[in-house]
Amino acid sequence: MAQDSLQCLAQLASLHGPIFPDEGSQVDYLAHFIEGLLNTINGIEIEDSEAVGISSIISNLITVFPRNVLTAIPNELFSSFVNCLTHLTCSFGRSAALEEVLDKDDMVYMEAYDKLLESWLTLVQDDKHFHKGFFTQHAVQVFNSYIQCHLAAPDGTRNLTANGVASREEEEISELQEDDRDQFSDQLASVGMLGRIAAEHCIPLLTSLLEERVTRLHGQLQRHQQQLLASPGSSTIDNKMLDDLYEDIHWLILVTGYLLADDTQGETPLIPPEIMEYSIKHSSEVDINTTLQILGSPGEKASSIPGYNRTDSVIRLLSAVLRVSEVESRAIRADLTHLLSPQMGKDIVWFLKRWAKTYLLVDEKLYDQISLPFSTAFGADTEGSQWIIGYLLQKVISNLSVWSSEQDLANDTVQLLVTLVERRERANLVIQCENWWNLAKQFASRSPPLNFLSSPVQRTLMKALVLGGFAHMDTETKQQYWTEVLQPLQQRFLRVINQENFQQMCQQEEVKQEITATLEALCGIAEATQIDNVAILFNFLMDFLTNCIGLMEVYKNTPETVNLIIEVFVEVAHKQICYLGESKAMNLYEACLTLLQVYSKNNLGRQRIDVTAEEEQYQDLLLIMELLTNLLSKEFIDFSDTDEVFRGHEPGQAANRSVSAADVVLYGVNLILPLMSQDLLKFPTLCNQYYKLITFICEIFPEKIPQLPEDLFKSLMYSLELGMTSYPLTEMSSEVCQLCLEALTPLAEQCAKAQETDSPLFLATRHFLKLVFDMLVLQKHNTEMTTAAGEAFYTLVCLHQAEYSELVETLLSSQQDPVIYQRLADAFNKLTASSTPPTLDRKQKMAFLKSLEEFMANVGGLLCVK
Amino acid sequence: MAARGPLPPRSRPPEAPGGHMVGGSRQPPARGERVLASAQGSLEFWRRGKPEARILITPESPLRAYVSASPPRGPPELSPQLRCEVRRSAGLESKPLKMADDLDFETGDAGASATFPMQCSALRKNGFVVLKGRPCKIVEMSTSKTGKHGHAKVHLVGIDIFTGKKYEDICPSTHNMDVPNIKRNDFQLIGIQDGYLSLLQDSGEVREDLRLPEGDLGKEIEQKYDCGEEILITVLSAMTEEAAVAIKAMAK
Repeated sequence: MAQDSLQCLAQLASLHGPIFPDEGSQVDYLAHFIEGLLNTINGIEIEDSEAVGISSIISNLITVFPRNVLTAIPNELFSSFVNCLTHLTCSFGRSAALEEVLDKDDMVYMEAYDKLLESWLTLVQDDKHFHKGFFTQHAVQVFNSYIQCHLAAPDGTRNLTANGVASREEEEISELQEDDRDQFSDQLASVGMLGRIAAEHCIPLLTSLLEERVTRLHGQLQRHQQQLLASPGSSTIDNKMLDDLYEDIHWLILVTGYLLADDTQGETPLIPPEIMEYSIKHSSEVDINTTLQILGSPGEKASSIPGYNRTDSVIRLLSAVLRVSEVESRAIRADLTHLLSPQMGKDIVWFLKRWAKTYLLVDEKLYDQISLPFSTAFGADTEGSQWIIGYLLQKVISNLSVWSSEQDLANDTVQLLVTLVERRERANLVIQCENWWNLAKQFASRSPPLNFLSSPVQRTLMKALVLGGFAHMDTETKQQYWTEVLQPLQQRFLRVINQENFQQMCQQEEVKQEITATLEALCGIAEATQIDNVAILFNFLMDFLTNCIGLMEVYKNTPETVNLIIEVFVEVAHKQICYLGESKAMNLYEACLTLLQVYSKNNLGRQRIDVTAEEEQYQDLLLIMELLTNLLSKEFIDFSDTDEVFRGHEPGQAANRSVSAADVVLYGVNLILPLMSQDLLKFPTLCNQYYKLITFICEIFPEKIPQLPEDLFKSLMYSLELGMTSYPLTEMSSEVCQLCLEALTPLAEQCAKAQETDSPLFLATRHFLKLVFDMLVLQKHNTEMTTAAGEAFYTLVCLHQAEYSELVETLLSSQQDPVIYQRLADAFNKLTASSTPPTLDRKQKMAFLKSLEEFMANVGGLLCVK
Repeated sequence: MAARGPLPPRSRPPEAPGGHMVGGSRQPPARGERVLASAQGSLEFWRRGKPEARILITPESPLRAYVSASPPRGPPELSPQLRCEVRRSAGLESKPLKMADDLDFETGDAGASATFPMQCSALRKNGFVVLKGRPCKIVEMSTSKTGKHGHAKVHLVGIDIFTGKKYEDICPSTHNMDVPNIKRNDFQLIGIQDGYLSLLQDSGEVREDLRLPEGDLGKEIEQKYDCGEEILITVLSAMTEEAAVAIKAMAK
């Protein structure tokens, strides 16, 4: 079939709306369409070029037609349709795997496969119209074929070309290459969902495949070890076998992770109902003690435990992953780390994190019914959960010391640690482990191996340690904990900076390292902020912030330290300002103001040459703008309840408003504006941050804008004009243009309020009227911007009605064709008809925006010079 | 626990010899009586008729290599004694070199090592590292691996903080790299003579061994000095090399 006909069919497949007079005709149409489709594609060999088109047709049918219509077509037809879908999915999946082996540029089958898997997800998520188990057999087929494509021979066909030859290439993989779990997240989500529907088949399948590979991996590693012992130094180890096993395990763990749990952001993930039902259904045949034994002995082969077949299958699948983890740990102890796969290590901690979030210490209140094996093994106050937490903690500690050189793995590992402590119930168990305290002490002492970790990992580790401190402990224990975790930080820091000759020795490497480590830790502490700990953390950090300002002075000629200090302020403002009540917020504003003053004193008139004249050189500017933006964000997001969270920490004192956010921000803007230049705006990050900041200021403090010193005012206005007019001529993004347009509305409103017709701002807005007019009427622009431009336009028109009429007149008078003249004149009349005279009234504004849309559709094409 | 220990330091091949030495020594303008006359001087290295490198012998450090802005492919051929010194300044030899008696005196940096080791993975962009014996600022840092199950390798691109020359290196992320000790000190500028800066130290002594930097910064310094402005000069030092890198108007 030709591309055009496929496209046409895909469009016909999404037919809907008033074209169908009633449901009956829709059903007839669908039935007819499907019948025709099946006749066309059944029994023919699909060409490569047809795969995407055919999958689009099917995906459109499934997405667009309502379920009741889909089920109303003749039963037989519907089942042949689903059979055909199953057949195509499996076949496209295999072809996609072949494409990967051949490393084709154009992955048509992969795209088609993606579409069909997505259709499955839409189809099976509906449990109202199809009886339970309707899709199970199909799910089994699709799931099996997915697994088969991802496993090595003999079980699977991975890396096999069409004629059965194995290909294996060791290619360089850069860090930019996405991890499979992200790159294929949509596929994995669909396959995981299908696996849940067919849990009876899929869970035992995954378990046996994993268990079998664990045993093989263990054996393989042992052989390598013996070989190494027998002839040390011989490097003739063939890693092909190991790599195949690692790749198998990699995919099995990914599928298992997506099958057993969802990845939710912000909400508490629930155990999928299918999994819960499956476990409950079999719980009467299950021996709980043996199940616990399987779970608690990851070092032993599952099949060596008597009665291993009478265990909960879900727990056994989890324990299969724990067995992989245990083999990894043992190999590390046996000094075989160099043979292990960091990718597999990553998969393991990724899985454990996902699993722990959902299953560990299940909250029984969230479920109608709960499986007994689950509540016995992972419930609150069970030995099982305490054991698992101890096991996971041990894993984290081992990974952090062994894999400090593998950034991603270390990062996934600390994320697991954060998961363990971010919920109070889990944290309560974590802090009962001696290992946790050892970890805290070790980190506080800044000794190897933890200080080998990269700085983002160290920050997250600090965050986890702080979060753990808010677990339930008796006062004495809590006191002791903070003495171990936070106090050393303070003591070491004070010891360094209070030395008499600190000024002289501040450039010594040990001193600099100590300072850097402290500043990094402060960022980590700020990251741990939650509403219920902000009081303690804010007070703790405030002490440091004051000292940090002193450090700014000492390290004024050391940009990397200066940047890190500003970053601490950025983080504190980012994480805490929204919780701070008036007086605390003011403390922070004051500190920020002092910081800016010191910065300004040390940097005005400073010129440096830097071998890297790139964006990084302006890191300080970027950070300061971020800081100011964060301070302003309080105006949008504010959870504070007049220092509610601080009650009891401090006698309530009347806030004497000495410094406001406006003061700090405007001071900062005075500092930033002269330093910004058109050249600097060529750096995308600087440019975006800059416009974000000035738009925020215009929106929040429009009344302060006219008070700016003349040259600053001018450069601000020029910046806005530049942002609006540069797009799309330069690399400035449409986002910047949108921000500038958003800034105009409050400025014009401010003018209207002030009613001064000769102020510089008033004159500037008149200029902007012309700019926006031209942009909307004469230039081709992004339709996304019509709303922002329209709002600004309307406010400006209100302010400068005479000028607006003039602009319209000029435009009309330049038209020579009388037909066009009339059409334009009518359109302009209609545009303002609903809002004459224009006033700053919301209702009128909305009416105007609606007319503007019609206006654009009507005459946009006439005027827009392409 | 089987943490992999640090690997033995990689042996670096000696740099290929570049130009040859034709210049002689010259006497920077002497001021201050504490200066040991015998310890002063500079050696210039020429290549294709252009000065390429200069070695300064100053009171603050017995021997300092100062490579001018257009760097050679490799260092010029040096006498064995000087080559030794250059190797030391490049961090290739950790033992301080004993010079002839009349050159042997205490320096301000006595005891402090020029570099310290750090696990490759803990380095960071915009930080510093020694690449091919040169102190560099890291301008690019990326990781890669061979095959999906391979171990991480770190790819570093650094720019020599003194010469602006680009260096690259790739190594396993478990590897230890040398990180130069970087120091920055501010001195007041009190004079410029024959292309050398006279800088007032905190101790009240004047040092005159630092060249006026080339390029815009140098012109800026001269211009400000000629206008009688009081300025502070930030001097960056690493691995026994120094250069003026920033200026700042002095607070009134």
